Amino acid sequence: MAKAIDPLEIGRTVSLDKTARGKAPVPWIQVLMYLTLIIGVVVAITPFYWMVSSSLMTYNETALRRIYPELPQWSNYAEAWRQAKFSRYFLNSVIITAVTLAGQLSTSILAGYAFARMRFWGRDLLFALLLSTMMVPSMVLMIPNLQIIRGGIFCLPTLSGCGSWYNTLAGITVPFMVSVFSIFLLRQFFAQIPNELWDAARMDGASHFRFLYRIIIPMSKAPIFTVLILGFIGAWNDFLWPLVVTTTERWRPLMVGLWTLQSEAGPETQLIMAASVITIIPILILYFFTQRQFTEGIATSGLKG
Amino acid sequence: MATTTQTALSSKRKFTFNSFWNSAQEQILGYLFILPAILLVCLFGLFPIGYSFYMSLRRWRVIDRGYIGFGNYAKALGDDWIGIVLFIVGFLLLLVAYYIWDSSWLSKDDDPLNSKREGSTIIATVVTFVIGLVAIAQGWGRMFEAGDDDYLASLPITFYYAIGAVPIQLALALVLAYILFQKLRGQELFRMFFFLPYVTPVIATALVFRFIFSPRQTSLANQLLERIGLSPQQWLFESEKLINLIFGTNLDGFFSGPSMALWSITLFGIWTFVGYNTIIFLAGLGNIPTSVYEAAEIDGANHFELFRYITVPLLSPVTFYLSLIGFIGTFKAFNHIFVMQTPSAQGTVETASVAIFNTFYKASQFGYATAQAMILFAIIMFLTFVQTKVFGEKVFYG
Repeated sequence: MAKAIDPLEIGRTVSLDKTARGKAPVPWIQVLMYLTLIIGVVVAITPFYWMVSSSLMTYNETALRRIYPELPQWSNYAEAWRQAKFSRYFLNSVIITAVTLAGQLSTSILAGYAFARMRFWGRDLLFALLLSTMMVPSMVLMIPNLQIIRGGIFCLPTLSGCGSWYNTLAGITVPFMVSVFSIFLLRQFFAQIPNELWDAARMDGASHFRFLYRIIIPMSKAPIFTVLILGFIGAWNDFLWPLVVTTTERWRPLMVGLWTLQSEAGPETQLIMAASVITIIPILILYFFTQRQFTEGIATSGLKG
Repeated sequence: MATTTQTALSSKRKFTFNSFWNSAQEQILGYLFILPAILLVCLFGLFPIGYSFYMSLRRWRVIDRGYIGFGNYAKALGDDWIGIVLFIVGFLLLLVAYYIWDSSWLSKDDDPLNSKREGSTIIATVVTFVIGLVAIAQGWGRMFEAGDDDYLASLPITFYYAIGAVPIQLALALVLAYILFQKLRGQELFRMFFFLPYVTPVIATALVFRFIFSPRQTSLANQLLERIGLSPQQWLFESEKLINLIFGTNLDGFFSGPSMALWSITLFGIWTFVGYNTIIFLAGLGNIPTSVYEAAEIDGANHFELFRYITVPLLSPVTFYLSLIGFIGTFKAFNHIFVMQTPSAQGTVETASVAIFNTFYKASQFGYATAQAMILFAIIMFLTFVQTKVFGEKVFYG
């Protein structure tokens, strides 16, 4: 008899809630443990406290280095937003992240499915080839990629024939629309899904595409979410590549804008800190609302990797 | 029962035209499914490696000015070939020394704890090791005289950063994960805070640390020093080596360690990555089957023995994975070092990635920068190879 299939069991990521078996440690060891943890938390969050409190101070208060502002200067945020031209950069970052994620997700799901469940010639060889590109440092890739994006090596399609993707959305996003790690992760999960499901779907006349869309994707929400989070962090936080392929404001993302502000604002600590807080807010919101899946997703990516 | 009938049905259809058509269809469809990913990887991940090598052989400053052979490599490493050969041979000798040491266990199979080594192999190991070190030092000296000082100096700086950051962050993470793994309240809350530094954009947090480690008397780092009765420091702006600052000495050379500025950046690196390592360790601890612990407890193992003989070896694949990606990560690290570098640090924080970026972005020497990047790539491959060979074999996969 075939083993019963529990759809919840398949897409499961790593759980972090397991604890040591047996009793809780003796009281004085517990105190020591809590003390260590609390010191850890203080070290982890003090810089964030420092960031937020500085962002609400007047210039004089940052110079004298008070612990907290006398009167919170909320206007710093408006000032930073204006001075750093964040209206444009914020929107740019949102679009860049969304476009990159959409591309990455579709290429990863398709390729992950094919590598896990389809039979075609040279499959394992191609997969090994993909994996081998993971350890190449980005410094090696960056300079040739810049030449490609400038249209110096291949014909890059633009609205008016061949051209350059320098300073364009395509130039920033297209090279990151594939993530070998995501393909690898999804393949591992898709491969666990029992063959009986495919046999049954094929009996009902389903194609590969339909099977993927109707069965596999709904069953693999957890790994797909993991891939989304990794992609989001990567795209939102990316700095070096956008810095290199943009010279104008048109498609510059938030991180490059923040860096430009810091080199131009000079000693105005409170503005730089306010701008920094603005750039981390979207990630923090995502993190606090999906905290569990977020950390478990990253843990999965580490353990299966 | 239903499944068995289906398998029977599908095997009966095996040799019909339909099944042939199906498999051909699957071949084509499979290629179509992987096409977008493969295309992008080939274009932006594989082709650039070859093209990078091509560029590194040419005189290319914004515009290509023609083939110059290995000129760019000679410029970086120096044209003193004896120096380079000595340097590489030195490292190979260290590997040989390791293999002599490792293969010399007596009665290895019986009891690894009580086996001994012969005196002659110990001498052979030590001699090979010392000759290796001397060759490295000699070769390095010759390379430094002939090569590009800025680039060559960036390599030990990268090494300092890796050696300073990875072991400390792994040790701290293991302690935190082990505590979180116990039956304590608020585990999830602590976990959430520890993980925060890793999640937030590195440009923003590095900017905060630029102010925390600023030489102002009122910066957070200096205020902390004041609390414990020490005088304020220059932190990120200090190019002097930390060891000289502490002991008032005037040491120089490789073994005197990194500058205070680099230590400040290392502290930032540790702060960022401890949380990540903790989470992975925690997941790894959860994967160790409890039955192993129970069996050991029945045999009378105490708390420390459980940790030493069960937790540590069964966790070793995770430790190995984390140290591997930690080292590769520190060798590739760029963003936070770029943000936290200051002119007053006088290049003592310029790791290889930053040096390559400066050659490329500031000096616009594209060909030379690709040569530097290819050398870094070779070093990373060598280190990965050594780590997998030397430590990978010690990993216990259960």
